[in-house]
Amino acid sequence: MVLKLNGLIAGFGLMVAIAAPAWSADKLKDPPPTSSTPVTAPPTERVVGPLSPADAAALATMNDRLKEYIDLHNKIKGTLPALPKNSTPEQIDKRQRQFENLMRQARATAKQGDLFTPEARPVIKRLLANVFSGPDGRQLKAAIFDFDDKNPGKIALTVNGRYPDTVPLSNVPPQVLQTLPKLTADLEYRFIGDNLILLDTDAHIVADFIEDTIPR
Amino acid sequence: MNLLRFPFSLALFLALLSPVSSVNAKSPAPSAAAGTPQQTASVGALPNKDGSFKFIVFGDFGTGASIQYQLAEQMAKLHEKFKFDTAILVGDNLYGSERPQDFQQKFEIPYKPLLDAGVKFYASLGNHDAREQRFYKLFNMDGKLYYTYSPKSNVKFFFLESTYMEPEQVKWVEKELKAANNDWKIAVFHHPLYSSAKYHGSEVRLREVLEPIFVENNVSLVFTGHDHVYERLKPQNDIQYFVTGSGGKLRSGDINRGSGLTASGFDTDLAFLAGEIIDDEMYFTAISRSGQVVDSGVVRRRQAKP
Repeated sequence: MVLKLNGLIAGFGLMVAIAAPAWSADKLKDPPPTSSTPVTAPPTERVVGPLSPADAAALATMNDRLKEYIDLHNKIKGTLPALPKNSTPEQIDKRQRQFENLMRQARATAKQGDLFTPEARPVIKRLLANVFSGPDGRQLKAAIFDFDDKNPGKIALTVNGRYPDTVPLSNVPPQVLQTLPKLTADLEYRFIGDNLILLDTDAHIVADFIEDTIPR
Repeated sequence: MNLLRFPFSLALFLALLSPVSSVNAKSPAPSAAAGTPQQTASVGALPNKDGSFKFIVFGDFGTGASIQYQLAEQMAKLHEKFKFDTAILVGDNLYGSERPQDFQQKFEIPYKPLLDAGVKFYASLGNHDAREQRFYKLFNMDGKLYYTYSPKSNVKFFFLESTYMEPEQVKWVEKELKAANNDWKIAVFHHPLYSSAKYHGSEVRLREVLEPIFVENNVSLVFTGHDHVYERLKPQNDIQYFVTGSGGKLRSGDINRGSGLTASGFDTDLAFLAGEIIDDEMYFTAISRSGQVVDSGVVRRRQAKP
């Protein structure tokens, strides 16, 4: 029995839509295996790989962690004035840096692996490896490794660190997003070099990261 | 050279050197004006007709460097005679840090003459842009990463965020395009679906997702940037694509002339595009930092399927 990631996450509105207990095989009657996905399927409906129940359970370990993170994020957000749609640069900058500092203070003891849990990390790396080793892999990597202006090279990432102002945001092609567990609007997957990061887009901080996620 | 004194015949000559090759487009030969409205005071290949929708397009500009300012001066010069009221930004609006002073030096100061004249800028975000730019009042994004803007009843722009094309955004644009009954449906985003530039080139994976939606829903024009050149592509599946990514940065000699995609390209200086929509035609002129007309022509919109 295999589970199809994309079909499952669609029904969940919040964060990683994987909850191992709820994803019992009984509720998922005969999902089509990836190998039977027609090559003519629209790209947005392609699936990358079947998830075994063990993989689904491993990814589900991120659920509670991400929920806690978003709860904290939203709590802090509630203490700050909302940005009007016609903000000045001063308003934008002030709020963003307040948000950044408050998140950092609130997660003073945060460390790598708090969100990308040790159980989930190898599964995510394997899912990405499948994508990048597939027929579209070379082009997908080219889209991510944009090398715009300056290759950022090796950047020392730290949890709670500010996303580097001088490093452009990587593309995350739709085919890659399809592969990864779904996030809420305030978190995004991005790549810095070979590293997959969770970017808090309000606070501009790296919430967590996994190294060496893109095979060369 | 001052564009406004640029001989129309030379603009026409330049346009004829690289004629638009699609049934959708044609060079701005005098015969093209048959049936078009009276021109009050044409500016190069632009009819400059009262009541038409006039706009400019550019991207990859926010460096604060002198060359960005010099191109901005050409925009202001154009505006003296060609009163466009809209500027379309295809992303990479601010390079590097985005402190308040950066907004000034990389946007508000160079385009002050246009801002003072009431030109409204509508932005899409590129890979160098922080998400918070969507709240910046002068980018008119209404706090949204993707949105629409309709300056006239027959024209609608669809601004997308191409660095992070989640399924929700794909569904959104498909729904919006399907619901729109405007004659001109124009998509704007950062990453080019087609580009002959050697540095980045075509975003093939993104194209797989977006192009079928554009074709199906009668999009006529797509403006992008990212590659720091000006390029007008040969129409692809009846859609006219432009790369306008040399608004402040340039990759000299970056266009691969052997790609087979290029209808017209300019990669030796910065450039922006000026457009004017009159009924079913969009007249366009690309203007360089020195004020030269480097491309011009007319694009005819796609007709809706019966």
